[in-house]
Parts: sequence; C-alpha cells; structure tokens
Amino acid sequence: MLLLALILIPILAALAVFAKLPARTITLGAAGINLILGLYAALCPTCAGTMDVLVLENPAISFSLGLDGMSAVMLSLTVIVTLAAALSGSCPDGRERLWYASINLIAAGAIGAFVSTNLFFFYAFHELALIPTFLMIGILGRGGHERVNIAWKTTIYLAFGSIILLGGLILAGIQLEDLSFSSLQPVAEHQNAIALLLIIGFGTLVSLFPFHSWAAPAYASAPAPVAMLHAGVLKKFGLYGLLRIGLAVAPDGMKHWLNLLLVLLLFNILWMGLVTINQKRLDNMLGASSVMHMGYIFLAIGAAIAAGGNIVDPTTQSLTLAASAAVLLMFAHGISIALSFSLADRIEAKTGTLEMNKLGGLAKAAPKLAFLFGLVAMASIGLPGLANFAGEIMVFFSGFEGWSPEQALGPVQITTIIAIWGVVISAVYMLRAFRNTFHGPAADRCASASDLTFAEKAPAILLSLVLLAVGLCPNLLLNLLK
Amino acid sequence: MNSALLLLIIPLLSAILIHFLLQQKMASIAAILGTIGTLVTLGISLSLLSSDAVGCSFNWAQIGDFNVNIGIQLDQLSKGMMVVVTGIGLLVHVFSLGYMKDDESKARYFGNLSLFMFSMTGIVLADNFVMMFIFWELVGLSSYLLIGHWYQKDSAADAAKKAFLSNRVGDFGFLIGILMIWGITGSIVFDQMALSAATPFLGAAVLLVFCGAIGKSAQLPLHVWLPDAMEGPTPVSALIHAATMVAAGVYMMARFFFSIGFDVIPDCSAVTIAWIGGITSLAAALMATQQDDIKKILAYSTLSQLGYMVMAVGLVDPNAGMFHLYTHAWFKALLFLGSGAVIYACHHEQNIWKMGGLFKKMPITGITFVIGTLCLTAVPFTSGFFSKEGILHAAHESNPALFYIAVAVAALTTFYMFRLLFIAFFGKAKDEHAAHAKEVPLVMAVPLLILGLMSLASPWIGKAIPALNDFHPHIGLEMNSVTIASIAAFVVGLAAAVVFYKGKESDPLANNKVMQLFRNKFYVDEAYAILIKIFQDLVAAIVHFIDEFFINGLLVGGLTRIAQGTGNLFRNHCQSGRLQGYATLLGLGAIVIIYIVTFL
Amino acid sequence: MQTASLTEYLFMSGLLFAIGLAGVIIRRNIIVIFMCLEMMLAAAALTLIAFSRYHTVNGLPDYDGQMLMFFIITVAAAEVAVGLAIIVALYRARQTVNTEDLTSLKG
Repeated sequence: MLLLALILIPILAALAVFAKLPARTITLGAAGINLILGLYAALCPTCAGTMDVLVLENPAISFSLGLDGMSAVMLSLTVIVTLAAALSGSCPDGRERLWYASINLIAAGAIGAFVSTNLFFFYAFHELALIPTFLMIGILGRGGHERVNIAWKTTIYLAFGSIILLGGLILAGIQLEDLSFSSLQPVAEHQNAIALLLIIGFGTLVSLFPFHSWAAPAYASAPAPVAMLHAGVLKKFGLYGLLRIGLAVAPDGMKHWLNLLLVLLLFNILWMGLVTINQKRLDNMLGASSVMHMGYIFLAIGAAIAAGGNIVDPTTQSLTLAASAAVLLMFAHGISIALSFSLADRIEAKTGTLEMNKLGGLAKAAPKLAFLFGLVAMASIGLPGLANFAGEIMVFFSGFEGWSPEQALGPVQITTIIAIWGVVISAVYMLRAFRNTFHGPAADRCASASDLTFAEKAPAILLSLVLLAVGLCPNLLLNLLK
Repeated sequence: MNSALLLLIIPLLSAILIHFLLQQKMASIAAILGTIGTLVTLGISLSLLSSDAVGCSFNWAQIGDFNVNIGIQLDQLSKGMMVVVTGIGLLVHVFSLGYMKDDESKARYFGNLSLFMFSMTGIVLADNFVMMFIFWELVGLSSYLLIGHWYQKDSAADAAKKAFLSNRVGDFGFLIGILMIWGITGSIVFDQMALSAATPFLGAAVLLVFCGAIGKSAQLPLHVWLPDAMEGPTPVSALIHAATMVAAGVYMMARFFFSIGFDVIPDCSAVTIAWIGGITSLAAALMATQQDDIKKILAYSTLSQLGYMVMAVGLVDPNAGMFHLYTHAWFKALLFLGSGAVIYACHHEQNIWKMGGLFKKMPITGITFVIGTLCLTAVPFTSGFFSKEGILHAAHESNPALFYIAVAVAALTTFYMFRLLFIAFFGKAKDEHAAHAKEVPLVMAVPLLILGLMSLASPWIGKAIPALNDFHPHIGLEMNSVTIASIAAFVVGLAAAVVFYKGKESDPLANNKVMQLFRNKFYVDEAYAILIKIFQDLVAAIVHFIDEFFINGLLVGGLTRIAQGTGNLFRNHCQSGRLQGYATLLGLGAIVIIYIVTFL
Repeated sequence: MQTASLTEYLFMSGLLFAIGLAGVIIRRNIIVIFMCLEMMLAAAALTLIAFSRYHTVNGLPDYDGQMLMFFIITVAAAEVAVGLAIIVALYRARQTVNTEDLTSLKG
C-alpha cells in the first residue's frame, strides 16, 4: 500500500492544485511526504510490500507494484529530485496551477514507472509523465516562439521512440506467459529483432546517438523543474528498462548488437563531447553534456551484455559489477544534472543571460552560487568525493572485468579505453564554462548580481548533500542493491 | 583509533571548519587553525617514524567480490614522505601567516591549503591504486583552487584551468593503466600486486600508469602547466608546485615499482621513462637560463629536477629518485619561500632585472637563498650533492648517454642559479622598490632559517628519508669519475655565470637567436595553442555543425517535419472551414460507402 | 387507376436527393442550403414510404413506414424551427448568411 500511496499522493496533489488550493504549499508538502515515504520504502523494501491486482485476463496484465534494489535506488532518485524541482525555478505569475500540477504529474508518472513490476504499467506510467513535460515546454518554456517547435520536436521524437519500443515489447510480450517482471525470461524467437527495437526505442528516450538531438534544446528551453525532472529522472527510464527488460528477454539478441551499441555510445561520448565543447550558452552546454554522460551508462550496459546478460550474480545473489555501476551512475547523474539545471536557472535569473561570453567574474558577487556551481561542475567532471566519480570508476572497472593479459583487448575493453578520454573532454567544457562564468574580471551584469537567498539555496543544498554523501560513501547506495 | 588516521582527519576537519564555519569573518582564527592542524600532523608523522604502527582499512565501495578500500599503508616510504609533506607544510603555513596577512580572501586560502594537506596525505598513505587516484584528483582540485586564488586576474584563472586540464590528460593514461594493472595482477592493492614473471601488456600498463606521473610531475610533453602555475601565491608554489604535489608522480612510480617488483618491469618501458625524464630535465634547464621572472626560473628549475627524479625511476633505481625528491623538497621550498620574501619586500615585483643588491638589505633571506642555491647546484657536502650523485651513479652504470645529459644539466643548473643570484641579490639596485627593500618580518624569516638548516642537514636524518627500509644513502666524498664530473659541471656553470652576468645591468645574451628560443620555451605553448585550435576547437565546430544540420536537421528534424507536414496537409486542405467542402466530402464518402456495400 | 411502380418512386426520391445535395454543395446562402437539406430529408422520407407501400405482410401493405413518416415530419418541423432560430442567431452575431464568410470551423 505504501507504493500505491507514493503514486497517489502526487496525483491527489495535482488535483488539489487544479482545484485552486494553494499550489506551492501543497506541492512542497506532497513532495516532502513522498521524500520521507520513498526513502523509507527504499531502505526497507519489505515494509513497502507489494501489490497485485489483475486488470486483464488475456494477455495477463495486472497492476502490480513492488520494490527491489534497483527500483529502490531509482525511487530514491525520483523523490529527491522531485522535492528539489518543486523548490527550483520561478513560476510566472498566474500560471501556478499548470506549473505545480505538471511537477506533481511528472513525479507520479516517474514513481509509477519505477515501482511497477508489470511491463504494461511500466510503459504506461512513463507516457503519463511525458504529457505534462510537453505542455510545460510548449506553454511556459523559454526561448520565444521557438519553444513551441522544440516542444513538438521533443514530443514527436519521444513518441517515435516509444512506438518503436512498444513494437519491441509487444514482440517480446506475445512470447511470454505474463507481463510481470518476475516472469521475464529469454524469449525463444526473434531475439535479434527485439533487441534492436529495444535498443533504438529505449535509446531514443535516453538520447543515444544518433537519436539524441531532441535533448539539448528541450532542456535548454524547458522551465527549470521540468528540465531537472526529465534529465534527472525520466531519462533514466530508458536505461532502467534496457537493464531490466532488454537484458532479461533478449540476452542473445543484445549480444548480437553489442558492437553496434558500443560504437553508438562512443559517438555519444566523443561526438557529443565535442558538440558540448562548442556550445556558447550555458543551458545548451548542460543539455549536451547530459547526452554525453549517457554514454558511460550505456558502457556499463555494454559490459553487462558482454558478461552474459545476467544483472544478478547467481553466486552472490547481488547485482553484478556492471549493473551496479550503471545504477550508481544513473543515480549520480540524475542528481548532478538536476542540480546544474537548477543553478543555471538561477544564474539566468540573477544576470539575465546564459551566454557565456557575456558573463564573467560572477564569483565575486555571488560566492555561494559559485561554490555550488563549482561543486556540480566538479561532479560532472568526475571528481572523487562526489557521486559521479564513484559511478564512473565502477563503470570503467566493469569494462575491464574478466579481462586477463593472456587474451587480447576485447571490444568492450577498447571501448572503455576510448571512453575514458571523455573525462578529459568533460573537464574541458565544464572548466571552460566555470572559468567564463565565474572567474576573470567581473562583467557589468555580474558585478551587480545578488547572491542566492536561502529559498534559492535550499534545493541546491539538498542535492549537493546527496552528491557528497554518495560520493564519500558509495556503500550507502550499493547496500540498497544487495 | 589509529593515529595515522588522524593525519587524514585533522586537515579535512580544518578545511571543513574554515570553509563553512569560520569563513572570511574569522580569517585570523582560520589561519591559526590551519597552522596548528599542520603542526599536530607533523608531530604525529614524527612519532610514526619510530613506531611500528600498522595501517588500517575501511570499505569504501563493495560490489559482490569487488572491493575498494580506503586504507593506510605505513612503511618507510610513506612515513618518510609524510615528514616531508607535513614539515614543509607547516613551514609554508607559518610563512603564509605573514605573506597572506592582508589578503582579502585569507580564509579561503587557508581552507584550500588544509584541503591540499588532506589530499596529499591521502596520496602518501594510500594502500591501493583507486584510493591513490581519488586523492590524486583531489590534489589536482586543491592545486586548481590555489593557483586560481586570485581568480579575478585572467592569467590566474587561465593558469588554474590549464593546470587541471594538463593533469587530466595525464590521468587519462593513468586510469587506463590502473585498469590494466587490475587485469594483470588481479588486484588494486599495492601489497598484493607482486608479479613473479613479466606478462604481456605489462610494459604498456607501466607506461600508462607513468602518464599520470607525466601530468602531475609536469614531464614533457605535459610540462606546460607548471610555469603558468606560478600565478598562485608564492607559498603555494613552494609547497605544491615545488616540494610535494609535483613530486607525487615520482612517489607514485616508486610505490608502484616496489609493489610489482623491479625484476618484471620490461626494459623498453623503463628506458622510455628514463629518457622522458632526461629530456625534460635538459629542456627545462635550457629554458630556465633565459627567464626573467624569479618564480619562473625556479619553476623551470623544478621541472628540471623532477626530470632527474623521473630519470632515476626509469633507471629502475627509485630509491635514488626518492632520495633526491626528499632533499630537493627542502631546498626548493627554501628557494621558493626566499623568492616569496623577495617579492614581498619588493612590492610584488618579480622581474629579476628590477632587483639587485638585496643580499645586504635582506641578510637572512640572502644567506638562506644562497644556501638553497648551493644545495641545488650540488656543491660538495650539501644535500643536493649527495642525492644528485646517486642519480648520476645510476645513469653512469646503465645509460652513458643519459649520464652526459645529466652532467650537462648540472652545469646549466649552476649557470642559471648563479645568474639569478648575481642579478637579484648582488650588484646595484635597479629599481626604486629594490633600493628600499627591507628584511621580512620574523614570521617569514624563521621558516626560511629552519628550511636552510634542513637543506643542509637532511641527508643525515636517516629515519626521515622516504625509501625502502634497507636503503642507506651514500654520504661522503669519494673521488671517482662521477664525482669529478659533478664538480667539473659546477665549476663550468659557475665560471659561465661569472663571465656573462657578474655586475650586469641587462641581459647580454638577450639578442642571441638560440637564447631567444630558450626564452620562448621552444615555442611549445604556441604550438599547443595551435594544436588545440585545430584539433579541439575546429573539430568541435565542424562536429557541432554536422550534428546541427544533418542529425538535428534531417534525422530528428526530418521525422518531426514529416509528422507536422502530414498534419498540416490535412488541416489546410480538408479542414478548410468551408461548409460546402465538408458537405462535398460527406457526399463523396457516402457514395464510396454505397459503392462498396452494393457492388463489392 | 394506374399506380406508379416502386422504381418510379425510387427514381423520384433519388432525383430529389440529388437536387438537394447539389443545392447543399453549390449554394452559398445558408437559408437555401437549409431548404435543400429539407428536400434531402423529404427524399429519404419518400423512399421510406415507397418501400413500406410495396413491402407486403400477409398480403397486405405494411403501414408501419407510413406511420413513421408522420413522426419524421413532426420532428422535421421541430428541426426547422430550431434550425431557423440558429440561423437568425447566427445572422445577428455575424451579420451574414453567406457560408463563404463563416469559416471558423477551420482547424
């Protein structure tokens, strides 16, 4: 019942917001309660219980909820980012209902997708979350008329990905007895086709190269909370699905397309890395960097595929190195990208622009903003002590798992080696952005900027504490996965 | 509680307290807190020297049977290195109390200094490669923060960025090397790495790990960041960019070589390492001969001496390298703090051609600077002489070519150091500030005196020398070919300096074409700037263009346009709003249905 | 008396329907369109009566269709009243009964 409550609280909050009750208070209240309940459920999956209501006999679809290590981590990510998103951004006057109801509905969709243990509802909840995302970009987004085009592009593209994904899921689903996660097993036929459809479908949702170019403009023009929730949480849906479903139903098919996946993820890292270097606006840069970092998580998935496709180690009954690394990095990236969008929004609010060559020397006027942005820049670079490093290094280790000097370097090892160059690229663009925004002589618009107020700091502090806690002690998170 | 743990905890606590609690409002307390913290860690390090305490270990991340620990390894190597780090750290803290007294971000400075002490301690005590990499990155961060201390200057902000990025390039190799070593030895813990026989990929792995040292110890071709790093406050240059952090590369290689065992290291990788050290040493010494900025001269000299240490590592004699690291740390910190005193007295003037005659006006600084110079130029019976001789011996035995390079570098070292001495400390004052320079206050003079003492005494403090347990440095004067070469190099260098620079007002060699090449650092920075323009910025622009037009425009945008275009087609032509149009369609539809029902 | 055959009735009603449809499609005046619509309705009603007349149950014509016809006429009368009221309201709102000017259904 706890899990059902987690989904219903934001939905009820959204209804209350539509009913013209005080929007901000209700949303913060719902997000706060959900944070407590969600973390409690994640720490104690048995207390969270399960739920199973048969909705349709044939094919067997049931509304079933449940929590295991992997979904517990994703659930924690969702509830943390939701609270931070509710606290971030500045809602235009008179649009409170749309703004806060959207946040609540996206949260409900994301939580629903991560706690569902049935393919059908897993898919349906994600679609639910996309609708308010689209509305928010189209109606309240930044960037003038262009935002409508961007909203259309994003929606059509995500719908395209979802359809392909649906094709793959149906092809797999008709060969399965029922659609619950517990009974997923390698299917007998069409594994290659299923794997390809799932890679493209989930890949589009996660902005795998070359299906990525919706992402950066969408995040740049979305209002801060939506960018935080989508880049931080919703995007992880695809990776979660690939690990959870793709590897389970079509391990051999995945192996068949492994080399393709490895090439595409290298493009994600190197190609998008270069694209990111060339960005002139901070928000575009952050959006592009989030696409780039997806490459690392795909690398972990690639390593999991190469290791045989089992995400649970049969001997120790815990997640394998590759799968744990992927989950850890998903969590870390979700928190850090949400933090950076939240802060970028504040920089724009303080200075009126995000064009890097019009900024400079902001650290003098706004040291707290500089500190927090420096922290998230360092997290993105992969500095130890922050969660992203723990994830990235585990990913790299998973790439070399099982390699011994007697054999030549395999495709996964070579990909890992090339992918490590990404840590240099991300240092280049992040430091350049930090240098141009905060260092150097103060530009006029920056010299008169004010520092963060407490209310503005609150979401950033929440997220940075999580980044630090997981970075200093990754076992906090890894223990959930056992 | 393990007292070695305190070595990590104290500076970390100090950094946290200063950054989050004390801040600029209580800057003086912050400065004293940092200094006392370092004093305590020095005490602990000294007490560890004679104790047989063992390390301890905490689990940091565990996945199945893959474990990463935060563990402490206590042996002669780490204990000795800790004394160097905390000892010089303390003196630099004390010196900073005077040097940074009126800085407007004093608290941030001391907070970052504490952060550095924490990170450096972590590198020294690390018992596995991942932990070392973690702290390796953290020293990079503290170095970035301290170089960029005066971030409002463009030059400082750029230098900080450059330092971080150059190190990152090195870390790229380092990380791959760690992964390969993990694959080869099956462990990341130093104690469990010993190999009985050479295996394939080991040579590559050794070189890749060495990439980390190339970045951190500023070897060719990643040396460019170190001279620029002199934008940071001078005490920082003494601590981080001369004595400790830049030497971490050498320390890491020594630790690594001890762990896998000397016998299995493939010759080709060792020789490559030695040659990189030798060439760096020579190139940096040549560049140092024509610098005018007192800190830049010392920076190139540091590069050159680091080249020596790396060469010793490459000659598979890391003990000699570590011994030189140890003696060099004291006298180079002395030279840097001395230059800091000079800069302080001359109102932040760094050009040696605007100094002169400082020896008489600043006797303590002058005498200690001369001591430092004598150690660096390896005058017999100084610490530098003994440690340099160890490296020369190693080169003489196994690689004559490198031996000649090393001797040439020794002569060049003497030449540029005495050039600096003659112009800045002797002769006439060439500038107002230099003419009115006064001796620095006691809080800055005392560290200079202690460092002067340590520079001379360090070889005789056996237990504090970081090395293997059975290493005893050769201390004494034996006339053999190596010693003679070393002394001859000193004499030649001194004679050249006297001939060219004694009592000169301006540089007599400034117009020489070859000298201009040295002055401009062989145009390496310019070449890198062009390379970055082409291979990073230009390629990035092209890639971005392709991404924008082909992928975004055709692939992603095309799909969107197809969907929107079809929609628009129906909207404009079928949903026109004209009643008759609807009626016509209705009629046509009815006819079609009737046709289908009736005739098909 | 010579009675018309079913085919003639159907032909007649088809003609009426076609004329009505042509009027709906071609004419611009909404009142004329409305009248044409009525004509189409009448054509449909005529078909209904004709079929009912020639459809015999137990040897007798089936008069259910003719009964239904009265209902249709009644409802059509009501519909005309409502329709004309809408047209009047429309005219008051838009000052025109020309369909060319009434395109707010455009998507």
